[in-house]
Amino acid sequence: MKKHFHVKRETVDGYLFILAAMVIFLVFTIYPMVSAVTTSLKDYRPFGSEWVGAANYKAAVGNALFLKSVKNTLVYTVATVPVSLAISFIVALLIMPFKRKTQSLFKALYYMPAVASGVATSVVWLWIYNSAPSGLFNQIMSILHLPAQNWLSSSRTAMLSLIIMSLLGGHGTHIITYIAALMGIDSSYFEAADIDGASFFQKVWYVVLPLCKPTTLFLLVTGFINSFQVFMNAYMMTGGGPDNNTTMIGLLIFNNAFVYGKYGLACAEAIILACLIACMTAVQFRVMGDNVEY
Amino acid sequence: MRGLYSLHLHNPVICRIRNALIGIFLLLFAAVILFPMIYMVAWSFGPDREMAANSYSIFPGIWTLESYYAFFAKSEYTVRWLYNSFVTSAAVMVSNVIFASMAGYAFAKISFKGSRPLFSLILVAMMIPYQVTQVPLYILIVSRLKMGNSYAALILPGCATAYNIFLSKQFFSSIPSALIESAKIDGASQLRIFYNLVLPLSKTVLAVMAINTFMSNWNTFFWPFLVTSKEAMYTIQVGLKTFRFANGTRLSPMMAGATISTLPMFILFFSLQKYFLEGVTIGAVKG
Amino acid sequence: MKNVHVNMPKSLKKERGTSMMKMKLALISAVISVGILTACSDRTETQVKEESTAASSTTASESVTQKDTLLAKEENEPAADTITIMVPPITSNYVELLDGWIEDYKKDHPNIEIEVTATTWAENTSKLTTMALAGEAPDIAEVDMNMIGPLAEMGVAVDLEQYLDAETLADYDRNSLDYLRQNDILYGLPLYLTIQALGGNRAMLEEAGADIEKIQTSGWTYDEFLKIVAAGTKEGTWGFIFANQGVAAADVVNIFGVSAGITNAFTSDFKYAFTSENMLQLLTAIEDLVKSGYMPNYGIETGQRWAMLETGETMIAGKAMPLTESTIRKNNAGIADGTATEGSIEVEYVFLPTPAMEGVDESCYGIVDGMVPLRNNGTTDQHMKNVCEFLNYICSGERIAAVDDEVMLPSVCESGRQAQANRELEQYENNAAAAARCISLVKVPPVGISSEQTSKASTLMNEVIVPKFQALLAGEVTAQNMYEEICQAAIAEFGESSCEMGRIP
Repeated sequence: MKKHFHVKRETVDGYLFILAAMVIFLVFTIYPMVSAVTTSLKDYRPFGSEWVGAANYKAAVGNALFLKSVKNTLVYTVATVPVSLAISFIVALLIMPFKRKTQSLFKALYYMPAVASGVATSVVWLWIYNSAPSGLFNQIMSILHLPAQNWLSSSRTAMLSLIIMSLLGGHGTHIITYIAALMGIDSSYFEAADIDGASFFQKVWYVVLPLCKPTTLFLLVTGFINSFQVFMNAYMMTGGGPDNNTTMIGLLIFNNAFVYGKYGLACAEAIILACLIACMTAVQFRVMGDNVEY
Repeated sequence: MRGLYSLHLHNPVICRIRNALIGIFLLLFAAVILFPMIYMVAWSFGPDREMAANSYSIFPGIWTLESYYAFFAKSEYTVRWLYNSFVTSAAVMVSNVIFASMAGYAFAKISFKGSRPLFSLILVAMMIPYQVTQVPLYILIVSRLKMGNSYAALILPGCATAYNIFLSKQFFSSIPSALIESAKIDGASQLRIFYNLVLPLSKTVLAVMAINTFMSNWNTFFWPFLVTSKEAMYTIQVGLKTFRFANGTRLSPMMAGATISTLPMFILFFSLQKYFLEGVTIGAVKG
Repeated sequence: MKNVHVNMPKSLKKERGTSMMKMKLALISAVISVGILTACSDRTETQVKEESTAASSTTASESVTQKDTLLAKEENEPAADTITIMVPPITSNYVELLDGWIEDYKKDHPNIEIEVTATTWAENTSKLTTMALAGEAPDIAEVDMNMIGPLAEMGVAVDLEQYLDAETLADYDRNSLDYLRQNDILYGLPLYLTIQALGGNRAMLEEAGADIEKIQTSGWTYDEFLKIVAAGTKEGTWGFIFANQGVAAADVVNIFGVSAGITNAFTSDFKYAFTSENMLQLLTAIEDLVKSGYMPNYGIETGQRWAMLETGETMIAGKAMPLTESTIRKNNAGIADGTATEGSIEVEYVFLPTPAMEGVDESCYGIVDGMVPLRNNGTTDQHMKNVCEFLNYICSGERIAAVDDEVMLPSVCESGRQAQANRELEQYENNAAAAARCISLVKVPPVGISSEQTSKASTLMNEVIVPKFQALLAGEVTAQNMYEEICQAAIAEFGESSCEMGRIP
């Protein structure tokens, strides 16, 4: 009896804690989501849609460009997200040994780019990648006695250019999230490691990394999700070209929903995309383990 | 975080040289990453004209305030837009810090029936790209709830985001369960444990959540653009883009607009700095 | 909390009492602020309403308007109605112009309220589509002709001829209306017909041996164009550049497509035109041009082309419009006071027609931007009548003349041209004449194309032709290969019988 009562109380507590968030969430996130799922089964018209079953899904999967964009998105994600996490982790670690004032300066410097507007940033990157000899990267290439490249306009370098842009862009939110995690590590762990005579790298590997696992999992999962939905870079920089080598799924969904008015198809593509992400997220949770207990 | 780096007590010079090297590396890397920002701020003071193709340079030839002047003198609404952005971002920030962190705590530390499927639902919601949820959301907010051109329309959809629930869940899960269990044995209610024990230990992550939420709301363009049609209700991002002066290919007005919209973020960042620095540690509890 | 056995750092223990207070305070203030915000939002809404009525200088309060409505109904006068219109900055001062016209319009139509929503060029389509999909489209929206297909497919576009009589429509040039016609239904009224071709630097062209007067008055062949470009290519100066970076590659296809005789995506017998022999001719010509070295072998951004023309880095630039003249004039004026592009030289701008390739009649690429009436939840017939009447008002006469003057184009309706007649434009006469000549050469899309066909064509353009074309410009595919791939994709989409495989008649 008593135990039963206890479980019930936990459940009541749990639901009370999530109540406010879930109400907002159900109305403004789940409802649109469910609506997108049903729309994906329709030939959507604002006045009188028709049910078409799986036709939109068939059309999406049967489209060679859709498959190519899945591949492009995958390449982009795998090349950027893990490296970005590594960079953020290293920068966060390197900020640690300094005194407070210096630390706060570095944190501010590294957070700033996250704040800058995407349009302003892409203007600068268009100059950096300008394929005229006067473009910034091409000037660097000529200093290194390498031939000038047609950065964004050649299928050999377009995707690479977008990847470099992402890696040299800001990692501000990742860095401060890692810093928050590092701040929470108790110094007693290091004292114990010092007694065992552990080196700096051993401490990072055996103490810091495992303790940061929940953060890494969070950043990895959300990083994959964001990267899979990304389309602004392609939209602003390459328009998906050349030869659709930088067309991302997000760009196709955007075009179908907002340019061609094929909203049903856009929803179907979005659901397929969500399923892909869900599979990858499941793998990430399995590999990383979804909880760390001390 | 003391203890990770050796203090080289026997030889403080090594410690100083090491820190200097790290500092130089960090500064160089920061310079690369900050390049677009520097360019943005510098050119916001440039003259109002088209840019030459093959004479790009980091700094403008002439420094002038004419772009800023235009934004504040030629539009009666610029201050109002900043105010709107501030109100909506602040409201979304506060509600996320409270509601999302409560939900995150429940998912991390309270074992209740249905917790796992509900949490999966939250994750799945993040995976649907926004392009296809804007239409039903628009129907809901504008047609059904008649909230077009209101703060409610700008604030409500983002009041508790999946991202923040997930973030706080991950952080709370690393607080030792033993701490919470012992508090429970002493008869503390979950609410008391959350406010008196968990939150004080999580200032850092709450600050991270606050600033990231504020920033993403501050920078959101598309949703406010959809639900506002009256100039008085625009946010700064919508205002800057629809403002006649910024329309066109001229660089300096565009960069000045971007700088204006970035500035309040810096102020917020520096005012929250304190929390990023206070490493709150848990003490000698080990599970 | 007294009995919780936790070893916390001293500093934390000290702070615990205050931090708990702080948390409580924060919670309370959050609750209060949410409450205030909800209250606020309602108030702001009414405030905004009031502001907008005040701005449109209507003295009548809402209750008075209601009374008026009642009275009006009794006297059998038109009922009150509100029209919403959504516009991007068609000209930089369009919204202000529109506000002025609305004032005038309301003098004759006191029962009509008009709400204007300003958008941006970049996001106008996204916002319009979202609203239309939600069944909440604005009553009037600005669109380019490519948007007509999707709007018609969605079922929100309206047959204008049901609401405007033939006499009213006779004011508009037939060919411009035809751009806005699909499924044999007229969906909108034109704002202007923009022609896109090339522009050049007079001094340099003359030095390269171009007879500008002859080119502007009777056109030129593609071979003549190539010869002049070759003669104009020197150290530090390109003979010809074209903004082709990213999606701008579509402009090359459209403008030089006309050179090769592909004036529209469909031929006069409704066959898909980009599979014709003319397409192969076009692709081969572009391939040769890229290889020749008269044109940069790297991508040029859209903003870059004017700067290159202004600084003498190129002799000819594309795409160019008659309006470009004002950009170049402004820059010339800025050389003295330092507001011009760095390194600028004095340039006299000449608008050049599109050169015609062998065996092709000269033509020019034109696009029409227009205004469309749209249906949404609960649109009534009377409302649509009011909408179309207002639409006709802003697309004709003085109003359209003011817009077309801004973009340096002759109006496409009789009343607009009459209003334009007695105005002096700051434009070289030879350029104005060349523009008028090019407009007369534009070939209108064949009437009777369905919105399904145009939407397929637009998908093919965006997903196959333009991406492949980018690769052609980068020298990564051959003209022949690209042609074959286009044919393959088009046949899969339309079927072989609906694709023109020979020469376009």
